[in-house]
Amino acid sequence: MNRRFIEGLREIYPGNRLLTRDVELLPYESDALTAFQTKPGAVVLPENDDEIIATVRLCHEHGVPFVARGSGTSLSGGSLPIADGLTIALNRLNRIKRIDPQQRIAVVEPGVVNLHISQAAQPYGLYYAPDPSSQSICTIGGNIAFNSGGAHCLKYGMTSNHVLGMKVVLADGSLTEFGSESLDGCGIGPDLIGLFVGSEGLFGIALELTLRLLPIPELYCTVLAAYDDLGQAGDAVSLVVASGLLPGAIEIMDRLAIRAAETVGANYPDAEALLIVEMEGEALQVEAEFAQLRELIERSGAFEIRAAQSEDERARIWKGRKSAFSAVGRLSPDYIVQDGVVPRSRLGEALLQIDALKRRYGLEVANVFHAGDGNLHPLILFDGREEGALHKAEALAGEILAMCVKLGGSITGEHGVGVEKRDYMPAMFSEAELDVMLALRKAIDPREIANRGKMFPGGEAPALTMQGMHPLERQGVISRE
Amino acid sequence: MITSEEQIKAFVGAHDRLHVRGLGSKPALHQVDAPALDMSGLRGIVEYQPGEFTLTVRAGTPLREIVAELEEQGQYLPFDPLLPDSASIGGAVASNLSGSRRHRFGGARDFVLGAAVVDGTAQSYTVGGKVVKNAAGFDLSKFLVGSLGRYAILTELTFKVFPDVPQFHSLRFTYGTLAEALTASYAINRSRFELDALDILPGADGAALLTRLGGFSETLPARAERFSEFVTATTAPQHVEAIKDELSIWDCVGDLDGACLAKVTLAPRQLLELDAAIDGAKRRYTLAGNTGFVACEDAGWLGDVLARQGLRGLLLRGDARSPLLGAPLENVLAARVKATLDPLGKLV
Repeated sequence: MNRRFIEGLREIYPGNRLLTRDVELLPYESDALTAFQTKPGAVVLPENDDEIIATVRLCHEHGVPFVARGSGTSLSGGSLPIADGLTIALNRLNRIKRIDPQQRIAVVEPGVVNLHISQAAQPYGLYYAPDPSSQSICTIGGNIAFNSGGAHCLKYGMTSNHVLGMKVVLADGSLTEFGSESLDGCGIGPDLIGLFVGSEGLFGIALELTLRLLPIPELYCTVLAAYDDLGQAGDAVSLVVASGLLPGAIEIMDRLAIRAAETVGANYPDAEALLIVEMEGEALQVEAEFAQLRELIERSGAFEIRAAQSEDERARIWKGRKSAFSAVGRLSPDYIVQDGVVPRSRLGEALLQIDALKRRYGLEVANVFHAGDGNLHPLILFDGREEGALHKAEALAGEILAMCVKLGGSITGEHGVGVEKRDYMPAMFSEAELDVMLALRKAIDPREIANRGKMFPGGEAPALTMQGMHPLERQGVISRE
Repeated sequence: MITSEEQIKAFVGAHDRLHVRGLGSKPALHQVDAPALDMSGLRGIVEYQPGEFTLTVRAGTPLREIVAELEEQGQYLPFDPLLPDSASIGGAVASNLSGSRRHRFGGARDFVLGAAVVDGTAQSYTVGGKVVKNAAGFDLSKFLVGSLGRYAILTELTFKVFPDVPQFHSLRFTYGTLAEALTASYAINRSRFELDALDILPGADGAALLTRLGGFSETLPARAERFSEFVTATTAPQHVEAIKDELSIWDCVGDLDGACLAKVTLAPRQLLELDAAIDGAKRRYTLAGNTGFVACEDAGWLGDVLARQGLRGLLLRGDARSPLLGAPLENVLAARVKATLDPLGKLV
């Protein structure tokens, strides 16, 4: 980092909001994909839009790459620093500027924690729907960058579907706004929100977001069913889908994931597979739908069925599922999580192939997945202290991704490409498709400074190192859904 | 007649300027002095997997064919594309036009999963994906929703579809003033009642809220009663009546005759001011007052009104130099996408 650039930063930031000493930079070396670490050249802590804009303009002028960072919970290395680049930490831009219950919108800054929006909207009977597992800590800015999902995407969509308006600074310092306060979003003209959300920070930084809020459902009905066979659980999903019901969430866990959940006291039945299905909405309708759902589940060969009769019981069913990932950490020193997608009808096939792969590699794989939308979350267990174990696990993860693409799916359902999956982009996209994406990137960010090294294959590759779980993950505060 | 992607590429290659046209159900979009690329021959369902909730169709496919095919499996396009009897699916997406049922789950952008396109350089490729969940790469398929064929030509589209509900129950609540109706719509829209549609219909004296519940036939009467009680208790309407004619009432532009017809995107808080300025025009607001459809005799007049209020409109029918009415749409990000996908500015 050159002196003039640092001097420029000093003009924007008082001493304690510009971090350059090694000890200060340490917490920013990694995100939730802890296998990758890079030391940034500096970190700045802006407190308002003007500082962000001035910083981006300075980076553009000097050609210094930057990464915007929220809470650093990216599972794909999306907020991994750029060597000798600038990390712009947005946590201090955490104001919920406005909740408008009549129009059902929230206007927020990018550093606001996902769950805080729902908490602020709760007194009005509203909530913000996207619920990534890390929602108690991840920021909305990161959700925007990676189009985060959660357990309820099939019915409610991902982050992109809940953004109505944005104010952004593009990587060359241009300011622009698009969308509106209307639930029609962009409404007329191209859907710029759809393009910006999920662009992994490669276009610029969102400064202000207008989000759609939804009424809190009147009633949730959640059922947990236990099976002797993973295939039966998969067939049950097909039954539910074919019945015309539209559950808010359909989740499956396999034996190893169930065993992991036991370490956090989930008290699940001893089974080969568990299915969780949740219906929500207007009480009278949901009660009728739930009766139909129960009938289907009873016919599906489940040996035990538990229906949550209270909010407490519902929370208990979800607790094991939501903490399954961190719980896996208690079974194994290390693990990698993937989030490939396959067409729902090919879930069974995908699971068989994962089973064959894990045998071939001699590694354990726990499976937890959003069965409703075919989003797999295989957790590959390994011991990072063993020589070559991480690379072996990475190789297995790569084969799983290749399989997802082959089955007609995607390399990522909700975690994004980041650093981790960029080399698999050519498996999913043709050269022409990648060329267009790269041309777009260059048109918007000619110096390629915004989150350089992410999404596109090649690029500067940070070395893989083994550091174990994220400290917060170890404590069960965040998890890799 | 153009029936293949190759022919489209050849057409783009052979012309300096061109304009994409589907089935022509929105004539105001086609008053362009450039050769028309007629998409009506590029039709048919490519792949429909009811168990996956996914549907892939060619862009020129008439909506009515798609609606019929989905109906057979008890499914539907939740964004409720407008003009289902006359429009093509590509046109509905490229113009981002939805009917009243969009209220429940979202607009075209929320249900487009991916697309095949030909861009202004005559290159073809796919954007987005074909599964219901995908976060890889830039999502150009969403960007193209509402883009009026000016950035790339949609040749094929993949959607997420949903199971439809078996039955509906619609109610009309009448209020003394539009302001009262709007206040009532606020209360309903943030309530826990899950409506299929919530429209505001201004009238000569006062205004009506048109509401639609959908669900199982065995629970619908009780739900409708409960809903009606809630609305009556919280918003004090002058009248409440059940709507008998389910079909025609939910054609949200069916009664809007006039030389011009336009869609307006607005926030509900802007509704009263807009409505006061267009009093005399026929109009109806869908999506709880977040979208308006306005019929009038002079598109220029409507454009001026919208511009004064900082609103945007899209003209579907009527004469105007441009179908884009009101506040300017120029945007630096859109311009850069245009420079990438159509550097010679062929697509107009």
